[in-house]
Amino acid sequence: MTWLRLAGVAVLGLAWFLLLPDYRTLGITLMLLAGWATAWDLLGGWSGQTSLGHAAFVGLGAYTIGITADRWDLAPWWGALLAMALAAVLALLWGKLTFRLRAAYFVLSTIAVAEILRLVAINQRGLTGGAIGLFIFDLERPFGLDLFSRTVEFWFALGYLVLVLAVAALLTRGRLGYQMRAVREDEPSAQAAGINPEAVKLWAFAISAALTALGGCLYGIVLSALQPQPLFELHLSVRIALVAIIGGRGTLFGPLVGATLLTVAAELFRNVFAEANLLIYGALIVVVVLFAPHGLVGELDRRLVRRRYARSARG
Amino acid sequence: MPAALEAERVTVTFGGLTAVNGVSLRVPEGGIVGLIGPNGAGKTTLFNALTGHVRARGEVRLFGRRVTRLPAYARTRLGMGRTFQVERPFHDLTVLENVLVGAFLRTADRHEAERRALAALERVGLADRALQPAGDLNLARRRRLELARALATEPKVLFLDELMAGLNPPALRDMIAFVRELAGSGMAIVMVEHIMQAVTELCDEVVVLAFGELIAAGSPQQVVTDPRVVEAYLGADDDD
Repeated sequence: MTWLRLAGVAVLGLAWFLLLPDYRTLGITLMLLAGWATAWDLLGGWSGQTSLGHAAFVGLGAYTIGITADRWDLAPWWGALLAMALAAVLALLWGKLTFRLRAAYFVLSTIAVAEILRLVAINQRGLTGGAIGLFIFDLERPFGLDLFSRTVEFWFALGYLVLVLAVAALLTRGRLGYQMRAVREDEPSAQAAGINPEAVKLWAFAISAALTALGGCLYGIVLSALQPQPLFELHLSVRIALVAIIGGRGTLFGPLVGATLLTVAAELFRNVFAEANLLIYGALIVVVVLFAPHGLVGELDRRLVRRRYARSARG
Repeated sequence: MPAALEAERVTVTFGGLTAVNGVSLRVPEGGIVGLIGPNGAGKTTLFNALTGHVRARGEVRLFGRRVTRLPAYARTRLGMGRTFQVERPFHDLTVLENVLVGAFLRTADRHEAERRALAALERVGLADRALQPAGDLNLARRRRLELARALATEPKVLFLDELMAGLNPPALRDMIAFVRELAGSGMAIVMVEHIMQAVTELCDEVVVLAFGELIAAGSPQQVVTDPRVVEAYLGADDDD
């Protein structure tokens, strides 16, 4: 069933490509955001550790591609591998230091780490080009594909989204997925089930960070001009968390649904209600939070679980 | 041969307050030891100390192996299982998934874990509720869910914190028979219990705590007639 839905996502991506040729860039943005939010959700939803610093991994991915391609002439796939490894290591160090903190303080620490990376990007001019930034002019071509063409980028973004969803699907139905949920629900009970909460959170964080950084690599190529300001910004971190929460944290397809809703809504409102754009965007968020506190897919899932039980009790 | 569980001079202090003071006890394989005492005597705190949920001084040994410095999850892996007095199910998970979390401790295979989880639910009589969200269960069923989750971790020493509280007479009879069966299979059991029927029918030995100290130990019959125990429960007579 899950795999069928995943195939459905791929088909929808294909349909978008064919039916909305003018909106391919929007499609890329949407799929990247959905991929990041799905990766965020492994930590924020399934494991219950809210991060408002995931832009750090997006920026880390983008800059790693930029630096390795522009300065070291490395092929982008090596850059992507390096970015994922760096992100995982950063997440492990960061988690080791901060998972001791209580929830609110962990959230604050995540904001701080993204901010630190932003300052590093601004000040390490030799490496990052400082506030002026870094430009990606030339990339090796995997299978002869021009990574700067929007068409190729679209397919890579779709591939990235499906990959992240597949990893999340595999993970959350297995042992680690259940350990993550147990830690989220109740740490003493999780310990009584033999689970080391810190180890589980570190795993979730490392995987979430590496997947986010992979999307960041692609984003860096899409942008081609990297600057610290949009990449490491709190605004991006909040957007990643927000779409996952609105769609339904701790659900496989919630972050995708949230990303689609908010991206499409923002695009529509920008054209139709140019002035009231942000107001309507905000109102939409309030409505969802009030009437679907577990997120859109979250509420559906709950209803489904109850209905399935009712059916099993009757039969 | 070492006992399944040995505790020596276990002491727990919270700031200046000594909640458990130098308590020792010993549980052989297949033995059932009851832990009784008035409210606030430190029974649950002693439980938490033995299972690693609070820090304690003294020594705790599991089959001769010192576990005093090990965190709770490591003790579970070595074979300590427990239920909580105030039940703590994973609310957002179904009944089956709750037990699945425990079963995953001994196998990484989803199908095998599910099979074992269902078997544990079968044993406690909750199999028909496998698909229900755990948060929707009533109190008595949550207790049984906790028991199933603990059993799924395949414990050798099982800690039951007021498992019988609030059960109606037929349910109580079933639960007593079930605990006896567990001990019969070789499991060592420590139980905090206020229901004296369960204590007298099940326990080989009863340990009485008052104000964090062990004030009496012995067979259920010896303990309930001990004047110090009567005093701890009813209070000293102010007139003499």
